[in-house]
Amino acid sequence: MFLIDELIALLAANLILSQALGTSTMFIAADSKKNMLATSCVITVFTTLSSAAAYFIDSILPSSVSELRLLLYTAVIGVLYIIMLTASYFVGKNWFADFRKYIHVSAFNCAVMGTLFTISGRAAENSSAFDLGWYISSGFEAGIGFIVAALILAAAYRKLNSAKVPASFRGFPAMLVYLGIISMAVYSLK
Amino acid sequence: MNNNKKQLLGGILGDNIVLSGLMVISPVIICGDTLKNAEALVYAFTAITFLSVIISSFVPRKLPYTVKVILYALISALVFIPVELATQEFFPGVIQRIGIYFPLLAVNSLIVFQTEAKFFRMKRLDMIISLVFCIIGFDAVMLITGVLRELFAYGTINNRIVDINTLISGLSQPFGGFVFLGLMCGAYRFIRGLVSKNNEVRSNADVSDR
Amino acid sequence: MLKKARKERLIWLDIMLTLLTLELMSYFYYGMRSVVLAGVCVAVSAAAEFISLRMMNKKFTADDLTCTSDALILALMFPVVMDYKVAALAVLFAIIVAKNVFGGRINMIFSPAAAGYIFVLTSWGRQLLQYTEPYTKTGIFDHPTSLVKSASYIFNTTRVFSHTDFELLLGNFSGPSGSVSVLLLCVAAVVLMMRRSISAGAFIGTVFGTGFFAVVTPVLSSRAASLKYSLVLNMVLFSAIYIVSDVRIAPKRNYYAFFYGLFIGVISYVLVATGVKENAIIIVSVLFTPIALGFKNLEKKIEIAEKEHIEAVTAANADGEEAAAHE
Repeated sequence: MFLIDELIALLAANLILSQALGTSTMFIAADSKKNMLATSCVITVFTTLSSAAAYFIDSILPSSVSELRLLLYTAVIGVLYIIMLTASYFVGKNWFADFRKYIHVSAFNCAVMGTLFTISGRAAENSSAFDLGWYISSGFEAGIGFIVAALILAAAYRKLNSAKVPASFRGFPAMLVYLGIISMAVYSLK
Repeated sequence: MNNNKKQLLGGILGDNIVLSGLMVISPVIICGDTLKNAEALVYAFTAITFLSVIISSFVPRKLPYTVKVILYALISALVFIPVELATQEFFPGVIQRIGIYFPLLAVNSLIVFQTEAKFFRMKRLDMIISLVFCIIGFDAVMLITGVLRELFAYGTINNRIVDINTLISGLSQPFGGFVFLGLMCGAYRFIRGLVSKNNEVRSNADVSDR
Repeated sequence: MLKKARKERLIWLDIMLTLLTLELMSYFYYGMRSVVLAGVCVAVSAAAEFISLRMMNKKFTADDLTCTSDALILALMFPVVMDYKVAALAVLFAIIVAKNVFGGRINMIFSPAAAGYIFVLTSWGRQLLQYTEPYTKTGIFDHPTSLVKSASYIFNTTRVFSHTDFELLLGNFSGPSGSVSVLLLCVAAVVLMMRRSISAGAFIGTVFGTGFFAVVTPVLSSRAASLKYSLVLNMVLFSAIYIVSDVRIAPKRNYYAFFYGLFIGVISYVLVATGVKENAIIIVSVLFTPIALGFKNLEKKIEIAEKEHIEAVTAANADGEEAAAHE
């Protein structure tokens, strides 16, 4: 029972379904199921690692210069972006050729940046949450939420892009309505 | 309209960044529930995007793609600082109203990806015209969404009460934004298809716009 | 193809007959208002279906009448004193947004009735979850004088159900107009399962999942009472028949449909028991749409693999026979 309650809570806190963060990125990756799942996995890596970096930024940055937060987060993601590309290059050339497009899409978007700002905001509201472990776990949780949303979309992918869907709604508009109805169900659980 | 004109002016109707490209949709879904929020987003988006793209156009094109993307993001993060300070000075309520979606506008796909894919392939004057129309396209969608959602969810327009006796409060929620935007995208494609009198071909192409 | 179309119409007819029986019971308890509400829902659904089909350049055929059963399901889940405009909006949402945007009855993703119900729950939740007592007959255009919480809500919050078993069987307690008549629902379930008009696997799975958890982790000191109330309150039985077991939504194979229903039953039971979420089964059934779609994708892959296997075996046999003939 506890596990089911936790799962429901995780679903209710899903960044895509509750805050629409990273929806555009999801749609960019929506060319195929494989792209969608791979992108969401790379985004999870980004959210987890950049959350750890965000912890250090938040602990160093004085509140009087909070305008610099975005710049520092962007710099951190930029560094991570280069590290990820370099690492995948050394893993194997074929793998790099196949994988780099996911890294390009996953670096700068609302999913990653939104996660950092959401976590930072929550930590500012609740000082007991200001802890490296909490930042990392929150970043990872957000990434998992993105994967869950990708799976939800992937399950209906064929139907949403089917020729049976009216031409005007086929693809993205149908995906938006589909996510909207799922989001509505999640909202009504709260 | 010839192709060149279409490319320049298409940002409003023919190739709207929100309704056709599905870019920058998170703020529309979440913050587009009132006209006041919509106005705040319009201001922030216009200022950040216009300045960032113009400044980014001076980045040397010979640099590797990854470096350029990082530079574009850093430039827009830098542009965000004066825009935020100006906002605090002249429009004090805006930041509170749109919350985290204000800084998120700095990493929108129009700045990070479209610059490289579309704008920097044009001559500078053409780029500015096209950019302005793309921004106007976003602003128009944002304002229409704000007005309609506020009207049907709260029964007001710009906080002034309008006589509507059955309100759909769910429209103000994120799921309402998803559904509303989905329906708006469908209606936009339907109308665009009617205008181009080639509904089937155009809409089929839209399935994979990118 | 003809056989399939015929079957679709027969399913609709079966479902409509059982729904009309429930509507009759509702008329008996709540009077003409219940019939008018159902009429409004059905009329709006037919009009919405007709207009949206015209916009899709399709013809309205007898098969498209399935929209009326969705509308009737929605009407039976509402309190009889529901505002007609809200009911009409819910039906419009169900038929246009939750069904026809995705291609209509040939490409169903959500149960229209469940999506319509959640739409009302999120925007007019208070109105949706307040009911009149049975035998309180409100005029067609009158405003209700006294509204009460449903017996399900009272049970969820206090663990007390102050009605006899006989009243329970006949649906003589406050709640949605047509979804509380337990005896009729049981008969409908048996008839529809025997006529294969609902997914037996999904229905049994839902009942088993809810029942199993109600016995293992009872909400009352008596396990039998926990089982009884968990199955009949919170629209569990009604939803298990008309929403979870909808053949258009549930996986085709009973094996998969059973697990789909089982998950819905278990999770909705937990939500009711721990979160006091009234009628949680409808919300969970919408949330489990991707699971149903996942199962259907799996079924399709299995079908393709089976087909390929049969073709390969047939080809191998033919080759073998040819070789034997040569020898």
